[in-house]
Amino acid sequence: MRRRLTDYLPLVVIWLPLLINAAHVVGFTAWTTWLSFTPSDLMPEYDWAGLRSYRGVLRTENTEIAYINLLIYSVGFVGLTTLVGFVLAVLIDQRIRAENLLRTIYLYPLAVSFVVTGTAWGWLFNPGMGIQKFVRSLGWSDFRFDWIIDRDLALYTIVFAAVWHAAGFAMALFLAGLRSIDPDLAKAAQIDGAGPVRYYLRIAAPGIAPIALSVLVILLQFAIKTFDLVRAMTGGGPGIATMLPAVVVYDFMFQRGQLGRGSAAAVLLLLSLLAVLLPYYAYAQWRARRNRANG
Amino acid sequence: MLVRRRDFLAGTAGAAAIAGASGAAWPQAKPRVTFISQWSSGSDGAAISGLGKRLEEEGGIWQHSPVPGFTTEMMNKLRADIIAGNPPAASQLKGPEIAVWSKIAPTVNLDPLVEAAGYEKLIPGELIGLHKPQGHWIALPMQVYRTTTLFMSRPAMKKVGATKAPATWAEFNELAATMKAAGITPVANGGIRWDDGMKLEIALSGINCEAYRAALMKLDPKALKSAEMLEAFAQLRKFANWVDPAIAAQHYSVNLPKFLKGEMGMLMMGGWAQGVIKNLGGNLDDVLITSVPQNEGKPVFVLNADSMIFWQRKEADLTAGQQLLAKLMMQKDVQEKYSQTTGSIPVRTDVDLSGPAWTDGQREASTVLNEAFKSKRVLLSLAHNMAQTNPITAAMIDVLTEYVHNDKVTPEQGVQRLAAAVDTARG
Repeated sequence: MRRRLTDYLPLVVIWLPLLINAAHVVGFTAWTTWLSFTPSDLMPEYDWAGLRSYRGVLRTENTEIAYINLLIYSVGFVGLTTLVGFVLAVLIDQRIRAENLLRTIYLYPLAVSFVVTGTAWGWLFNPGMGIQKFVRSLGWSDFRFDWIIDRDLALYTIVFAAVWHAAGFAMALFLAGLRSIDPDLAKAAQIDGAGPVRYYLRIAAPGIAPIALSVLVILLQFAIKTFDLVRAMTGGGPGIATMLPAVVVYDFMFQRGQLGRGSAAAVLLLLSLLAVLLPYYAYAQWRARRNRANG
Repeated sequence: MLVRRRDFLAGTAGAAAIAGASGAAWPQAKPRVTFISQWSSGSDGAAISGLGKRLEEEGGIWQHSPVPGFTTEMMNKLRADIIAGNPPAASQLKGPEIAVWSKIAPTVNLDPLVEAAGYEKLIPGELIGLHKPQGHWIALPMQVYRTTTLFMSRPAMKKVGATKAPATWAEFNELAATMKAAGITPVANGGIRWDDGMKLEIALSGINCEAYRAALMKLDPKALKSAEMLEAFAQLRKFANWVDPAIAAQHYSVNLPKFLKGEMGMLMMGGWAQGVIKNLGGNLDDVLITSVPQNEGKPVFVLNADSMIFWQRKEADLTAGQQLLAKLMMQKDVQEKYSQTTGSIPVRTDVDLSGPAWTDGQREASTVLNEAFKSKRVLLSLAHNMAQTNPITAAMIDVLTEYVHNDKVTPEQGVQRLAAAVDTARG
């Protein structure tokens, strides 16, 4: 009796949550996908409407701007975060004093929610009350820093806030990677006369390549999901200049009460996520197979 | 184990029976109203609490659950309640959304009550249509605001030597240019979506009343591309260049302190701004409140109204509560109290606003409403969801807010894009 329970317990613990999760995730994803092909408006309806909702979504300027923004934002955010995170990790890796303290400080932004991040940076960037006003009050009276109200530059303020938020996270992962490199390798490199730059670029960087890939994928799906940061920081403005796909989904679904179009926009967002995750998954599979073949 | 469960069931059943019996023991339940709205704070919250108190004085029970956030948040709650089969006895809902929502759940027919009150003769036809979408009264307006109100900072006027409000857009533009030259920010509006939408409706209604009706209310394709529309977009560009550039995504109320000091000149806003100025501790004597310019020289009233819709319920106490609430909402004294609290004007056009409880701004708006009511020049506000349903309004405001914040879009392109957005949103 007792024996049996311990046999089944792991199965129950694993399968029950898994089934519940699957029912939620798969079930509601399927429902949303279904709704996207119906003429649903205020209430769900279940007639077939084909691609009508998709056409409606794709023809709006919001969607167009949102996807162009997503491209710029993803490249900027992922690239800068990786770079800043790597540099911070390398600096912290120098066996410096107060390492724990510094690491905590750099990780701290991650503990702050996107809404708080967005609101605070929104204030800092606002020319009427933030950095511009501060610098002017110091005496530089024609100092200008008004990116957030410039529709062509506002998106970059969001990139900046997002990098500030996530760089510590990338740093932590990179640091773990750097520390996991065999110390003998470092010593060998030192004996062979490699300087620190050479060590990090030629030995450490390739060594942590798998971690870098994970960081990229995690950051990229962060980028695609970004919603609250924009809501809090610019509200999608000036005008509709900083729209992102997740904001478009929310807009259709909950602001306009167009369930069909909202679902269609959500499915498009899911597809763009899959476009990132599937190649990664395929790559991971391929690598695993190769390792098995080699090992 | 089994016994205990049976005991538990029996106990529950017993309790339910007692509750049922005691319910039946009451000869007549008090009329009760369950009500959801977005109003919870400020003067709107105070006004709705006042109405609830009045209902209680008449022997009713008032159960109000405010939903935080915007009107759309309230709608999400309402949708959930309707799907769950438990709609409130009444809820806030306005404009064409009344017709849309009335199709998804049964509503109460208020015809007998409205007729008994002789209400239809007293309110603008535009409002009547919105509240009896399928030929029956199912909702009632609560209060009326004019969105085409011009607030002028008297200190700013003094600085440039202006003595009266501009009557036409040409005069407005001239005054604004003078203010700008004098270092005053001419327009004190904000930069968020509905504010941008309002700027266009103000411009167009002030250019031509019927062009507004055809384009923004009827969505007539020709009217959407008319010369008046083009003129309105050109005027909108001027507004955009005259607001404080730092206001990008902020609310107009941020500007009010500067406006009251005379650092900003003119604010085009709904009548509710009076209440906001008063709440800030501002002095209404520093502000000249009048209508926005009108090129035709005749009064026009762009109307925004808050309403309540009544959802069908079977419970006797709720239906009694609905009847009582509807009757109260049409009463003169109730409307007076409500509008005095919020700064709006009453829905009935037969209320005397000469008393000391009303402000000059309210009197002026009410006079214009009466004149516009008689000359059939009442229009419904686009930016405040009175002219079109949510999806169409939102699609149009997307274009307008983008136009306001992107000066690379020409007025011609603006007109084209607005017409295209209407097509897409309808399709």
